[in-house]
Amino acid sequence: MAEEQKQGQTTPAAPPRAEGAPSGAPSSGHGGGHSGHAGQGGHSGPPRREGGREGGPRREGGPGGGPGGPRRGKRQYFRKKKVCKFCVEKMDLIDYKRADILSQFVQERGKILPRRMTGVCARHQRWLGVAIKRARNIALLPFAGSAAGSTAPKAVEAPKS
Amino acid sequence: MEERLYDLIFIVRPATPEDEIKKVVSSVEHACTEKGGKIEKAEHWGTRKLAYKVAKHREGMYYYHQIRTNHGELITELERRLRVQDSVIKYMTIRLDEDLKRQKKLTDKREKRAARRPRRPAATPAPAAPIAAAPAPEQQAAS
Repeated sequence: MAEEQKQGQTTPAAPPRAEGAPSGAPSSGHGGGHSGHAGQGGHSGPPRREGGREGGPRREGGPGGGPGGPRRGKRQYFRKKKVCKFCVEKMDLIDYKRADILSQFVQERGKILPRRMTGVCARHQRWLGVAIKRARNIALLPFAGSAAGSTAPKAVEAPKS
Repeated sequence: MEERLYDLIFIVRPATPEDEIKKVVSSVEHACTEKGGKIEKAEHWGTRKLAYKVAKHREGMYYYHQIRTNHGELITELERRLRVQDSVIKYMTIRLDEDLKRQKKLTDKREKRAARRPRRPAATPAPAAPIAAAPAPEQQAAS
């Protein structure tokens, strides 16, 4: 995408120097692709905390002193992003019957996600844990590791049919 | 004794005939009325996929009741009845009133705090937009 755009931009500029363009275009296109890649890396960093931490210093090695500055900015971003969902919605009770809500705070296999991943506040995490355990009891949510049991028989059924 | 609120959920085998389900539900209701309980809510959630296998079933029909009662024996009686039924593969009773009490307390607290704080009048961007839009054509006309 980035390369196409770059080339598209270069073509209007190309006509003046007709034969110089072919040699110029590839190099600029290459550069465009590269910068685009770096940009993507930077983008994928911020949402995940660990990724941002590791990726930041390595990729942006040049502004080594910089990370102090940008990271402060990033941290504010994190704070803003990781607000307790239940506090925002002002839920004073986490209903164990709402499996759709609870499943957002559970791994695929049924493990309860830690607070540091979801940003839930301590109080709500406590209630959430109780609610998830209740939901598990009545088969609304899986117990950790029981996902394997449900997938294995399906694999057996598939070859038969 | 104070009144308590309970949630009762039970899962019935998916291939159970209607009459049998009716029998189970009516036995629950009957036990409630007999022991002085009151059914506040009764819901049928339909057939749902179970998160894990229960008695070799992947699906089950969920029935939900909310029961208010003074007598704790009612719950033991209900659980005993459900345990005896072959068509019921899982059941759960949960005491709700303490959670609800806590919820009420917190909600009241929040409302009180909201009332104490002076409410900011909402900014009105609606009139601003026409004003901003209006000068632009004039300027264009002048230039």
